[in-house]
Order: sequence, then structure tokens, then C-alpha cells
Amino acid sequence: MADHNDPNAVNSIFSDIDVSAADLYDLFGFPSADTANGEKVVIALTFASVPEAGVLDSDMLYRIQVFAEPRVPSSLKEDHGLKDLLRHFDALKEKYLGPLGAAEIRVTVDSSNRATVRFINFAAGSFSKVIDTNKTVIIDTPDGLAIKAYIGGRDDAFFNDLTGFFRSINYAPQFYHVPHTMTDAREAKIPKTLLELEGNQFFNYDPSFPEWGYHGVKKNLPAEPLLWNGDRFYKDNNGNFRFAYSGIDCQAGKNINAIILEIPLAFITKSPNEDRVVSTWGESWVLKAANKVETIPDHPFWLEHPLVLLDAFKLDEELKKYKLVDTDGQPFADAALSEREDNRQLGANNFWLAPHFIKRLAHLGWGFGPSITALGLKTSFDHDNSPVSVHKTYGLVLEAFPRVKKTLLQKLNMPNDDWNPKGLDISMRRPLEIFVPNVCAIDMDTTGTWPFGRRPEDQVATRFLSMFLDMDAEFNGKKYHLELLNDQFLWDHAHIEPKTPPNPLKNDKDFLKDFPYLAAPW
Amino acid sequence: MTSKRTDYETELERIGKTISELENDALTLPIDSEKATKFVYLLYQQASLTGDLAELARVETALNTAIREIGPAGDLYFLKANLDFKLHRLTAVRQDLEIGRDLRNSLQGRSLQADLDFQEGNYQEAKRGYEALINDEPAWDNLARLAYLKFKWGDFAGAEQCYIDAENELTAKEMRHYAWVELQRGVLSLRGGSYEKAWNHYRVADLAYSGYWLVSEHTAELLGAMGKVDQAIELYQRVISCVARPEFQQALGELYQAMGKPEQAEPWHEKALAAYLESAQCGDVHYYHHLTDFYSDVRQDGAEAVKWARKDIALRRNFSTLAALAWALYRAGEFAEALDPIKEALSSGAVDAQLFFQAGTIYQAASGNGKGSEYLRMAAEINPHYQNFHTHR
Repeated sequence: MADHNDPNAVNSIFSDIDVSAADLYDLFGFPSADTANGEKVVIALTFASVPEAGVLDSDMLYRIQVFAEPRVPSSLKEDHGLKDLLRHFDALKEKYLGPLGAAEIRVTVDSSNRATVRFINFAAGSFSKVIDTNKTVIIDTPDGLAIKAYIGGRDDAFFNDLTGFFRSINYAPQFYHVPHTMTDAREAKIPKTLLELEGNQFFNYDPSFPEWGYHGVKKNLPAEPLLWNGDRFYKDNNGNFRFAYSGIDCQAGKNINAIILEIPLAFITKSPNEDRVVSTWGESWVLKAANKVETIPDHPFWLEHPLVLLDAFKLDEELKKYKLVDTDGQPFADAALSEREDNRQLGANNFWLAPHFIKRLAHLGWGFGPSITALGLKTSFDHDNSPVSVHKTYGLVLEAFPRVKKTLLQKLNMPNDDWNPKGLDISMRRPLEIFVPNVCAIDMDTTGTWPFGRRPEDQVATRFLSMFLDMDAEFNGKKYHLELLNDQFLWDHAHIEPKTPPNPLKNDKDFLKDFPYLAAPW
Repeated sequence: MTSKRTDYETELERIGKTISELENDALTLPIDSEKATKFVYLLYQQASLTGDLAELARVETALNTAIREIGPAGDLYFLKANLDFKLHRLTAVRQDLEIGRDLRNSLQGRSLQADLDFQEGNYQEAKRGYEALINDEPAWDNLARLAYLKFKWGDFAGAEQCYIDAENELTAKEMRHYAWVELQRGVLSLRGGSYEKAWNHYRVADLAYSGYWLVSEHTAELLGAMGKVDQAIELYQRVISCVARPEFQQALGELYQAMGKPEQAEPWHEKALAAYLESAQCGDVHYYHHLTDFYSDVRQDGAEAVKWARKDIALRRNFSTLAALAWALYRAGEFAEALDPIKEALSSGAVDAQLFFQAGTIYQAASGNGKGSEYLRMAAEINPHYQNFHTHR
């Protein structure tokens, strides 16, 4: 081609990577029930099973960061103003960007599917071990402790009505073939809602096409813009609302790859009796092209034509050879609150996203708040008694904050005391401190159920929705709590179809009682 | 013993397999837009990868069918715009950008718009476009676009840095793209006269994505420039056996010519010219530039060269087409007339050894004001070996 630069003409004009091993799914973290020889914490990072379950991609590096500290009372209060909040973020920033010194675990896999696991900056120092994949392995630490490790394929531990979630936020790519070039068309400018909107033909359940939106079944994108001009929720002839959710487990029968570790607390901190909260987050990194070349042997042609070759390659620190792709700390921190934008993959360092988080939560509140009210429940979001969900976005935190203040700052009640087996004085957590920073903060004196960690059996998608409930209100003589929307009794008595909790209550395969906890792959 | 499949073969096989799986029903009614788009895209990718311009006709037919059934989907029109761009149909590209749904203001649409600006000589607009895109999303391809612009404006260091930044965005999952950027870095070095650096970049490109004829073709040019003519000829012959494109046949002919073997050069020149002319007779415009160069430098037939140069410049008036017209006029003995287009080409701000060589030669023939020597000195400053063998890219 004459005289013009044309990177796309000889290359791909669309991404050729369909599903990437860099796509992190979930991070689980909870105290192990096995306390023989000391307390241990379980951390499980799951990600797409690419190239296949049990076979890991040798171009990837997975990184799990771990940091233990004492439990301190929350500095947040329900009557905090925006200025107090900003001070809170500044203090957090100091902590996480300052002398945090998190320890970390790095995992890479070679072409024979053997994993190299490196433990860096732990209390006992740093060391590495090469282990087999797809089986439980004991790794002895330099200070005489034992870490259990499993790296390989498992059943996907996430049980969730993903289609329902995407229907509730009018996410077009789940239902339509949205062209790559139409990024603005992904999240339609239609109110987010738990209840279907009357006349929302673009996203409402279609009884003549029940499989629509499931298992990749989509329609062609309509020619007209995806908009809605109605003014009420849809009701059927019996006066029932139609739930955006179905309770179906969209992840049933799916596998993932995982890094599962059971680590003695004494290996993470020299003061296990004081450092009771273990914060952890995961990252996926993909090898840069330039560094991949280093690993490829020369073709004979170049050796047969020796010329003076410049040394184009320089050895570098390991992470500089990789590119950060994804982070995972809290469930829904990306999907619901950061709109899955790649440049927001910041993990623990997501402080600068705090203003965005407040605005986004207010945007969601205008969708979910009126839905909750319509069901006869009380919401933590101030929607001025709007009779129907509203599509509203905010440019200013100052405007969003008063609406969403309670949702951000209220304590999330637990359904009973099971989470706190020692009966210690542990504060309930508030959404703001759960999501910023984006880490899984495992309280070693609890069971580690969300938000005091995350256990595989936690129905976190439904618990996430519970943030929009007013935790001061009561249902059947009991304060609202994180499991309320999982309560079949509530749905049986609601004017809604189908009468189901939004998401399945349990995984398609039973979890194991012991390590590696996640079920074997299908 | 069987030899290991190259990356190029493996990728082509993968694309071919998916095409086979899709071809029976991708374009049948009722049409599934995602499947149809994927199918047409794969055809396009296959044609681009193999360098088979004739295959683009098949792509175009499939693309038109998909558009007829699906409507002005942004992805399809983006594909169409790329196809039109490849074939130098710039008016059509502009139309595609307008018709494609939400395409014009998408990141992809804006990249193409900036490329259009570049081709039409609106260099400041092009630069602004690339910089704005990089500001919004520092994607490797836009960094490479800006690198090329900087290269053409003589900012070799800036271009190199942009290419390095582009490479830094590429992962192990995009080795073909990486190889392509390495090739561009090689060209940058070659045009600056640094053969060893160019060699090293081409070697890395081959490591990154093995078996790609585009790497071999660039390497053949470099070997020719280095005076390793036998090796260059051998490599060109290998490339032509895979991808029989006329510009490679012309290059091979020119190498034989340089060796003083006109009888071996002529059959290749004949083949190249026949293909160029056949393309033009079919109404295609993308070989106008090559026809101009061919008549100017191979046949030294100024009148024919001017004819094709004027056709090309009617499509896109930029420093390159202006310089080609000026050079054609020089070959036709129209020295004074050549001055205007070469001045306009120079006024664009382009800094290129070949451009300065042509300007110097034209000025020396047209006037005795000393500018000729000055431009020849400038050409040598950029690339001391500017008169060595090079291809018409």
C-alpha cells in the first residue's frame, strides 16, 4: 500500500480476544474453620477458564495482595457530611498509598502447566515454590508453617441471575448484538429498576421468547434508540409487578480457574493476636508483547545472516514486563459501581473513584429506590417518593450526596448473630467502607461472611441490593438486614411475579467442607 | 520430520476454520447481525493477512449483503470504511463515516477521520485528531498513527518514542500487532540510514510473529539497501511465491536492474505493469501511485507518469502525491512546471530524504539558484544512503 500508515489495515480492526484469562471473576476470603496449629485465612481468586478449566494461560501473572492490621472502630458516622467523608478518604489514602507494605503472592504458570507461586514480603520473608496444578499441595514456609494451595480448575462458585441483573440496569449487550463501535449504547438511558417498566419493550421479559438474554441468545439491535418514555411500573391483570430478576442461576454448569490458598495468619503477620483484619485483593496481569519475544528462540534465518545486533532487550523488574488488566476486591465494585471501565481497574487504590462511587450509587438509587418503595419496603435512598424509577445522572458529588447519604453510611444489619461466633464488639459495616478501598477485608473473629470477608455460600448479589433497603425499618417485627431479599416469605407476600428471591439461594454444586472448598469442575 | 507451523500459518488456519463454520448460514435470513459481522470481518482479516487484494472483492460482496439486510450498523460501516481506505477510495470513506450508525464520533470513526485528514493533506487536523484520541484512550494503533506523522515530519525521536509507547500497550495476546510496530520502527531506522537497527527490528518482528510475508518483504528491501542483492532477490522470490503483488515484482525487477541484469528484470517489470494496468482498467485507484512511480523510475516515461500522477492527485492532494507529480514532470523534461508541485510538497513541512532528493534534482535542473545542492545535502543528512535500493511504499 503506497505512502500511508495503516495500522488497522494489516491488523485486526476489532479485538480478536473473546474471553480472556485476565478476566477476574471473584475473590473469596474467610477464616478457615481448621485452627489446628493456629488460625488460617482462606483466599480464593477465580477467573475465566481460558484456555480451559484446569489449564492456565502461561502469559498471565496473577497477584494477590494481603495486608493484616488491627480492627479499629469505624471513623464514619451516619450524620457525616461530605467534608467529613473527604477527610475519611484522605486518611485512607495515607494508609494505603503510604507505608502499607502489603505482602503479596504471585502466580505464573509455565507451558507445562506447572505453577510458580511466589510469596513476597511476608512476615517470614519471601520465597517461591513450583507446584503441580489441579491438586492440593502443601507448601512449607521458611518459618515452619504450612500453606495449602490449589491452583487449577473448579466449578464456578458464583451463583447469580446475571441476566436479571443486566435486565435491571438495561444493559444492552446482554440482549442485543451491540456493535463494537457503539460503546455509548451499552447501558441504555432507561431507568434502572428492580421492577419492569410499563412499555419498556427493549428490556422487559418477552414470554414468547423466554430464552432471550440467556446463554448468549440475543436480538439484533433495533434501529431506533433504546429509550423509555413511560411513567409507571408494569402491572399484570392481577395487579402484580413483574420482577426484573428470575432467580435463575446463569452460572450453573460453568467452570472457572482458581488460585485457592489457606494461609496461616502467623505467616501474614507477626502479631496475629492483634492484627485481626486481613485485607486482600487480586489482580491479573498479562505479559507485554515485548517481553514475550524474549522467550522465543531465534529463527535460523537470522542466525544464518549474522549482523551486529543491538541489545534491544533489557531485563526489568517482573511487573514491568506485564500490563495490569483487572482487579478484584469486592463483588460488584466493578460491574455495578465502576461501569467496568478498564481505566478504573485500580483495586485498593480506588480512592480517587470515591466521588464517582457516590454519583454512581445515587444513579443506581434513583432506579432501585422507587422499586423498593413500590414493593412496600423502605429504602435508604431519598427519591422524593417518586412513583417510578428515574434515569438520573449526576455531574456533581455535592448534588448526589444528600440523596445517597444514608445508603452510603448506614450500618448493614446482619440477619442474626451467627456471623460473630465469639460475640465480640464488632461494628456492622457501612457500604462506603466496604467498597472504598476495593479490598476484601476479612475479620478473623467472624465467620467471614460478607461483608466481613466473603464466603462461597454468600449470596452477595442479593446482599448488594440490600444496601438500598433502609436498615432502620422493620419487617415482621425485625429490623431489615442483608438477607431480607433472600427471604422467600417476603416474596410470597409481595405483589410480584415471579415470586422468587432475585438470585438463587445456593450454588449448583455443593461447596466442600474442607480445602479447596470450591466444588470440582464439571 | 515436520517443521513447526508458523504463527502466520496458525492464525490463517484459525481464521479459515471459523469462516468455514460460519459461511453456510452467516448471511442467510433471518440474519444474525453478530454472526454476519463476524463472518464479514473474518473474510476481511483473511484478505488483509494474505495480502490478496482480489479477495477484497469477495469481502465487499459479503459486506454489501450484510449491510443490505442489517442496515447501517456502525461495525459494518467501519469495516466498509477500512476497505475503502485500503483501496484509496477516500470519498467513499467519508460517506461511510457519515452513514454508519454512531460511527462518526466513535473512537474508531475518529481514527479514520484523522487518517483521512492525513491523506488529504490536512496535517494539523490529523495531528490534533490523533492527539485527542490518544488523550481519550492511548491505544497502540493511534500511537502508531501519530508516530508515522512525526516520522514524516522529521521528528525521528518523537516517532520512535510513540512507537515504543504503542508497543508498551501491546500484550502477549497481540503479537501480530507488535510485529507490525516493530516493522515500522525498522522502516524508521532504515529511512534514517541505520541498517543495523532496522535489521534488529525486523528480526524481533519475525520472532514475535513468525512466517509473515510482510516481515520477509521488509527484510528483502533492507538486504537490497545493504547491497546484499543475492539474498534480497532470494527473499523477494519467496515472498512473491506466497503473495504475488505487483509492487513486489517491481521491486525484484529493480534489484535485477541494479545488478546489471536487465534481461532478468524485464519479465518482473512486465508482470508488475500488467497487474497495475489491469487494476486501473477495472476502475480501481489504489495502484495509481505505483503506476506513477513505475513510469517515472522504471520506464522513465515522463508523459505516462504525469498522466497517473494527475489521476492520483485528484483523489488526494498531499505531499507524497505532489512530490510524485513533480518527479513525473521532471522525468517528462518539464523542469519549470515541476517546481510548483515540489514547492507545495515541501511547504507541507514533510521531512523526507527521498522528497529532498527529488526536490534537489528538480531544482538543479530548473534553476541555478543553489537550492538544488541544498536539498541534496539535506537528503544526505537524513539518510546518507538515500540513493541505495528502496521500495515504493
